[in-house]
Amino acid sequence: MIKILIVDDSNFSQKITSNTLKKFLDNAEMYFADNGYDGFEKYKEIKPDYTFVDLLMPKLDGKGLIKLIKEYESDAKIIVVSADVQRSVKKEIEEMGVMAFLNKPFSMDDAKFICDKMRTNENA
Amino acid sequence: MHKNPLTYDILKEIFNISVGKSASILSDMINKKILLNVPDMDIYDLNERHVDSSEYLPEISSGALMVSSITFDESLRGRANLIFPAEKMRKFINMCTNEDKSDDDGNMDFNDMDFDIVKEIGNIILNSVIGEIGNFLKINLNYSLPEVKIYNKDNFKKDLESVQYSYILTLYISFKIDDTEINGAVIIELTLESLNELIKKVNVLEDEIDG
Repeated sequence: MIKILIVDDSNFSQKITSNTLKKFLDNAEMYFADNGYDGFEKYKEIKPDYTFVDLLMPKLDGKGLIKLIKEYESDAKIIVVSADVQRSVKKEIEEMGVMAFLNKPFSMDDAKFICDKMRTNENA
Repeated sequence: MHKNPLTYDILKEIFNISVGKSASILSDMINKKILLNVPDMDIYDLNERHVDSSEYLPEISSGALMVSSITFDESLRGRANLIFPAEKMRKFINMCTNEDKSDDDGNMDFNDMDFDIVKEIGNIILNSVIGEIGNFLKINLNYSLPEVKIYNKDNFKKDLESVQYSYILTLYISFKIDDTEINGAVIIELTLESLNELIKKVNVLEDEIDG
């Protein structure tokens, strides 16, 4: 069973990401958090295989959350799903060692791309 | 405000591209084709006494307006607002949640989930519009958390006039989903300093075009 944590302050986007991923994964357990702070607490509690992170969130933003997770577990597999289309932001976040930076809304193509990467990881 | 045709043309083209991308995002979200009209653009100086607020606030609805907003700072400082008539948003929300309730189209009772959906749609579209400006002009922006509010036209005018931004850049957007035409707008409020910075960056592009 693959554990997936989705951290996004929009319940709507949480559902889109979760439902779209489920179309490509039949063995996934989904967990949710509404902000970076709760996301980090949940991360430590459930130790997810993959974490999907929004950038603009209350309490602790996505960048802060990625930093905390990477300090806690340097090879954590993080996928950013953000509305921010700025190339400078994408570059900065990618340099933090995330698996992918995707723009919202999370699409079927995005899900296929990520799930193929997950399978490659699992088989490696 | 004095219009330099080439500056306006460049700004309009940047918005044209970014609004086109937004329409494509919306189309993906509701899984329907969206027919988009080319947006028209105007810049207004709120300090000019003869500018009537009805000029910059488009005739999109005489009823309630649903307004999603984000503020931004760093290279430019301002607030971007996505405005749609509230009465048209029910159908749009139902499309986003894949609910087919045609008898529900005029329902104006919005719950927390409805607001969450409109807030997230506004977040995605406004990020696309403002972020693409940043990409084109090679400037960085920081965003605040998005907000969504329902206003009547008078309250929204008062809100626009009460904050510290002096200039309003209005993009009129109209699009069609199935047989429903929705007229909306993106209103970008800027400080004088930020408008000048924006024009300055566009002028650099003009110089590059002229060689």
